[in-house]
Amino acid sequence: MKKIFFVFFGFFLIILFFLTKTAFLLADEMRSNQFKIQMSNVNIGAGKKTSNNNNTLAYTLGQTAAMEFTSKGYVIKAGFQYLHSIVPFSFTVSDTQIDFGELLPNTPKTETTNLIVSFGGAGNYQVTAIEEGPLRTLENTSQIDNTCCDPGCSNPDKCDQYSAALWTQDSTVGFGYKMSGEDIPTTFTTCGSNCYRRFANRLDNEEPVVVMSSEDVTLNPSSEPKDIYHQATMTFKVNVNSLQTAGNYQTIINFVATPSF
Amino acid sequence: MAKKLLKIFTIVSILVILSFNLKKVLAQKFSLSLSPPLTEIIIKPGRSVLVAFNIYNLGDPQILTPLVKSFEPIGNFGNIVLKKELEGPIRFSLDNSEIELEKSFFLKPNEKQQLLLRIRAPEGAPEGDYYYTLVVQSDPAPNNNSLTLGRAKASIGANILVTITNQGNLEIKPSITLFDTLRGLRINKGLKVYESSQPIAVVLILKNQGKNLIKPRGKITLIGNFGEKAEFEIIPQNILGRSQRQLLASPSANLNLKQPTTLTLSGFFVGYYRLTADLDFGAGTKKLFANTSFIALPLKLMVAFVFALILVFVLIKKYLKNQEE
Repeated sequence: MKKIFFVFFGFFLIILFFLTKTAFLLADEMRSNQFKIQMSNVNIGAGKKTSNNNNTLAYTLGQTAAMEFTSKGYVIKAGFQYLHSIVPFSFTVSDTQIDFGELLPNTPKTETTNLIVSFGGAGNYQVTAIEEGPLRTLENTSQIDNTCCDPGCSNPDKCDQYSAALWTQDSTVGFGYKMSGEDIPTTFTTCGSNCYRRFANRLDNEEPVVVMSSEDVTLNPSSEPKDIYHQATMTFKVNVNSLQTAGNYQTIINFVATPSF
Repeated sequence: MAKKLLKIFTIVSILVILSFNLKKVLAQKFSLSLSPPLTEIIIKPGRSVLVAFNIYNLGDPQILTPLVKSFEPIGNFGNIVLKKELEGPIRFSLDNSEIELEKSFFLKPNEKQQLLLRIRAPEGAPEGDYYYTLVVQSDPAPNNNSLTLGRAKASIGANILVTITNQGNLEIKPSITLFDTLRGLRINKGLKVYESSQPIAVVLILKNQGKNLIKPRGKITLIGNFGEKAEFEIIPQNILGRSQRQLLASPSANLNLKQPTTLTLSGFFVGYYRLTADLDFGAGTKKLFANTSFIALPLKLMVAFVFALILVFVLIKKYLKNQEE
């Protein structure tokens, strides 16, 4: 009886030992199936290692910059220090013709185009937009003004090239746009889905305004690895009243996508 | 008459059959990629370098124009503003035989074009940093005779950071502008209190007072009550001369705050925590150090506990009262 008691007590102690020896929990969670390690690229060696579980390690080796500088008189580093330089920066505008067709008084029309930026794992980029002038007739005799949104142009709460405001009324006229999707200006997310703003106007010497930008590098708000495609939809809106002169109205919207430094 | 009718019927039939086979008119798509996205050059006056940029047309046929513009940094998040003019002493030209800067060329879909950009620092060019963007811009979309039309003109850029130096000596003068946690309840001596389950956003802003760009390396360390540590690597990003930038640590995330963060700490924190930032700028340069601290309390649990305690107290009192009756 005593023997059995000691055996059971021994087992109990061993189980207790393993139960209490819990692993140290780190604040940081590592995920392996979607990891991509990207390192500097300074010319003398590079390659790619793959494993059975689809992990990829892209590596490059550095050159001795100081010696290079002394002998040649220059040093070039292409690509980000933490980014595989062969990952290109790409920019897509899904539709470059924003065709509203025929406009009827007090009947707003909308058209959309998608802006897509792909940027490897680095993510830091910006897309700016500016109009080369308001929508104008080819003869330059009449124009559709940029919108001030529902508050009206005399109201301090009107929309401008930076701030969005509500535009739901059919009586509100002008030309403007709204953004939805990834990496859009906070003015659109805070104001709501029916909020618009006008384009910056180059004829008024205004600077291009950021319509998409990303500051965080690889993770989204839920700490999942971020998709390398950043997509937003720009919805253009135009409306005229019965006083608008008939004619063909056109403008050029200039988009510029640049990576960060 | 019958012959005429037959003729009309045949023509109409052919037109109807052909109209079934009409191709769908697709939207004009701009899609271009450019690499490398960033080029850093350290160069002596009187020397030149050749950098190859690859443009790949992933969309519809495009008429493209390459040009170089100066840029300056704006804000704390690595954004840039392209200047209208090319500034600084650096001279740019293309070594391509058929393509020149500021002159258009045609690029078919799925075709690649290499631009051989010659970057020259003239003799006697003043030492310092000069920042440029190679911009490849499309012609505006064609006019389709629509009554109301917005025509998009799209451009893509790649940044070129040029440092001119005679001896390779660089001016490195960094300082930490801000190292703190966001939100939280600030109590005595600036210490902030957080709810234990609340993600804690950390911000680290570095200022470059020198005339050359710097690339900080280092880490942010979280030190807990009993000395336990968690380290977060700082991602080496360029901070251009006489500018400042918010750094990023890995893993980082944006909490959808109005302000992006350097690092987001998530977990269940209880007690006093210290955060330290150690930054290194290369051999022979001074290291920078900053620290901040915060307290995390399980406020929600405490409130729930007090509420439960009050509830139990009330129930016991009620039970005792019933017993007495």
